[in-house]
Amino acid sequence: MHALKLIQTFLKVNLQIALAYRVDTLVNILINLMWLGVELIGLQIIFSNTDRLAGWGPGELVSLLGVFRLVNMLMASVIWPATEKFNTSVRDGTLDYTLIQPANSLFLVSFSRIIVWRVWDLALAIGLVVVGMRMSARDLASLTGEVASITSLASLAGFLVLVASGALVLYSLWVVLIALTFWFVKFDNNVTILQALLDSGRYPATVYPPWLRIIITYLVPIALATTIPMQGLRGDLSALQVFVFMGVGLASFLVALRVWKAGVRQYSGASS
Amino acid sequence: MLRIYYRFWQVNWYEQWQYRANLLMYLAYWLVSPVVYLAVWTTIARSQGSVGGLTANDFVTYYLTLLIADTLTSDITVHLLAYKIQDGTLSSELLRPVHPILTNTLVNNIAFKALVFMVLVPIWLVLVLLFQPDYSMVTIQSILPAVPALMLGFGINFLLGATLTCLAFWTTRVYSITEFYFALAILFSGQFVPLQLMPPLIQRLAAYLPFQFYIYFPVSLILGRVPPETIAWKFALGLAWLAVAYALFRLIWREGLKRFSSVGA
Amino acid sequence: MSSLEARSPESDAITVQDLTKTFKVPEREAGFGAALRSFVRRKYTPIQAVQQVSFHIGKGEIVGFLGPNGAGKTTTLKMLSGLLHPTSGQARVLGFTPWELKNDYLRAMTLVMGQRNRLSWDIPAADSFLLNQAIYRISDQDFKASLKELDELLELSPIMRKPVRNLSLGERMKCELAAGLLHRPKVLFLDEPTIGLDITAQARIREFLREYNRRTGASILLTSHYMADVTALCERIIIIHHGRLKYDGGISELSHRIAPYKLIGVALGEVRECDLSCYGTLVNAENGDGKQYIQVEVDEVTTITAQILKDLPVHDLTIEDPPIEHVIEQAFEE
Repeated sequence: MHALKLIQTFLKVNLQIALAYRVDTLVNILINLMWLGVELIGLQIIFSNTDRLAGWGPGELVSLLGVFRLVNMLMASVIWPATEKFNTSVRDGTLDYTLIQPANSLFLVSFSRIIVWRVWDLALAIGLVVVGMRMSARDLASLTGEVASITSLASLAGFLVLVASGALVLYSLWVVLIALTFWFVKFDNNVTILQALLDSGRYPATVYPPWLRIIITYLVPIALATTIPMQGLRGDLSALQVFVFMGVGLASFLVALRVWKAGVRQYSGASS
Repeated sequence: MLRIYYRFWQVNWYEQWQYRANLLMYLAYWLVSPVVYLAVWTTIARSQGSVGGLTANDFVTYYLTLLIADTLTSDITVHLLAYKIQDGTLSSELLRPVHPILTNTLVNNIAFKALVFMVLVPIWLVLVLLFQPDYSMVTIQSILPAVPALMLGFGINFLLGATLTCLAFWTTRVYSITEFYFALAILFSGQFVPLQLMPPLIQRLAAYLPFQFYIYFPVSLILGRVPPETIAWKFALGLAWLAVAYALFRLIWREGLKRFSSVGA
Repeated sequence: MSSLEARSPESDAITVQDLTKTFKVPEREAGFGAALRSFVRRKYTPIQAVQQVSFHIGKGEIVGFLGPNGAGKTTTLKMLSGLLHPTSGQARVLGFTPWELKNDYLRAMTLVMGQRNRLSWDIPAADSFLLNQAIYRISDQDFKASLKELDELLELSPIMRKPVRNLSLGERMKCELAAGLLHRPKVLFLDEPTIGLDITAQARIREFLREYNRRTGASILLTSHYMADVTALCERIIIIHHGRLKYDGGISELSHRIAPYKLIGVALGEVRECDLSCYGTLVNAENGDGKQYIQVEVDEVTTITAQILKDLPVHDLTIEDPPIEHVIEQAFEE
């Protein structure tokens, strides 16, 4: 499909940029590793002081960290750079060039700037999820005396679907936030709220007081992309719930598309 | 001299006021971490009564006080100075007959703090209402020593921050270096969790490092958790670190200027 | 103003009919009270950027689109490229309505703005070209052919592989144009393509556009501040001022229209102050170059110059065309 070819080209171009700044890329990877170390130390401290956190065991929290890092990586490698580029292009008028290119403008705005070195974070995130699951399985085995499988196929499928729809919801929120710039031009900090609340995805939503839980589940749905998929993996959710969440993901994407279209029309003075 | 500081204050305050919209967003960003940690530790404390001798209320008071302390001791020099070194704008400030960092950058930091503090107070009060801490252990005697402690914490943080930012005279990767510094601060200052809950090795290291003065020491003073016999020794350590940071800064600044003027902007 | 005779629509690449664009700009007075008031009730001033403009441009024509700053040139160009919706009126370019932004239209035209760069700053232009190939769905065959031709005409080979950041302004403009022409558009909208370039670079770009038009038969609508761009490339110019079409016709007719004069700038040696008004009408030009300017009819330039050189201790003397803004102000002030 043409869209894939475009993404391929974007990746190639951004890889070139990364290679041109080789040492920077290396330093970035090292710093990323450092933060991983800090996060793991954090988890270690928590579990040296308690057995379970809000009903979640250490293995599950490691997996949750993996899911969080996955979401974070998608944000950091695609969304934040795209935001920067978009805000600049609105300010200096180069957005015009994007709008008259014969490809979907939202697609171009979202994917033209991909921070390539973050891709390795993907492998790391998956690794964390797997390691966490193994840890949980071991714990369970030592408790019940039987060898449990790491997880069921259904849970895994549910997990993947939920990660995808969670990511879709966050993406849609981002689209709406940046589209606001079409109406309120000086809205530079449009996505900061998203960035800010993202950190809460490290821990299961059940840890938070109800008011915060509501914010991160319904308003800025970080929990939809982190806690909910993990719940799916643990087998906590019914098939119906999984389908509902999938629907939420798709619906939010459709809403986002509409808002974007309306924004572009506003920008080009269609209504006036 | 005082008049010079006053003028710098006026200029910087006005500048920061212009960017106040950005401030709200910055605040939202910065508030989330402590609230998250608060939630995590109070959940643990409630589920088992206490953690390492600390009750849920101990955690609530710790993190809420941490918000205030962090605002007062934080340093944003790298965001104020690094770009000026890199694109040469620093030159114009060097031509003035005052030290640019110890005047302009310092006052800029303070103006930012004042603005943040103004916006923080109402938000902080809302958080107090939501989390309902029991602050009965706080007295005038506990707050009084915290005031110089906070100033000490800011002084060290500022000077170390400025020293690190000056590495921009030699490298473009100064932001990565400061990121590393921030990571160390998270571990050793008590930002993540009260230092008494950290693994013993980290606690032992933290006792000698400067980071404790940014958060753990002043907060513990306010909450009355510092044994009186150690207060004097801690202050002495703090002053020693202040002297070290100052000496380091002057050294790096001198060397950095030499390099700056030899290679041009 | 002369308008061209009726033309058959098939031969037209661009048709514009009563195109109008009015912007609503919020009024903002200074002061806190006004800011508060504006929060509650916004007052708007309508700015009529383009008023009832009509013209046709045929296939293969190169037309200059002139006017002082704020005259409505860029707004018109934005409407024709599809970026802006007009308040009223119609336009058709290559059979499409531009602001519907149909992909087929976007692939057939190009917009290049001299003051805004589309090329990515950090990577070589060659990589931006590859990106455009993907976006415009140019086949490998066509891409290679296009690139070869553009390379020939613009001498891209030495500069294509350097990061755009390291190129000079002239080199960058060449790459910007190349990037905009890889997909062989049939209509080119160029907004001040030579701005800020030195004389040689300007000449190169003009040559290139002439040759490109000859080879491909593309229609070009070009705005510029520089009379030289226009005289070199366009047989026909359209002048727009205060949003209205003031003139649409050939260049030679225009120069008869305008009071035909030149500006002589004189810098005197030791004697700083000297009254030049006996030689021609004194013009107040704040060029800051220490010269005094007088306006002289074209036919008399040689004689007056000779006279000045004979009479006065001249340090420096230049003979210049009046700036385009002046011409338009003078000719169309009503």
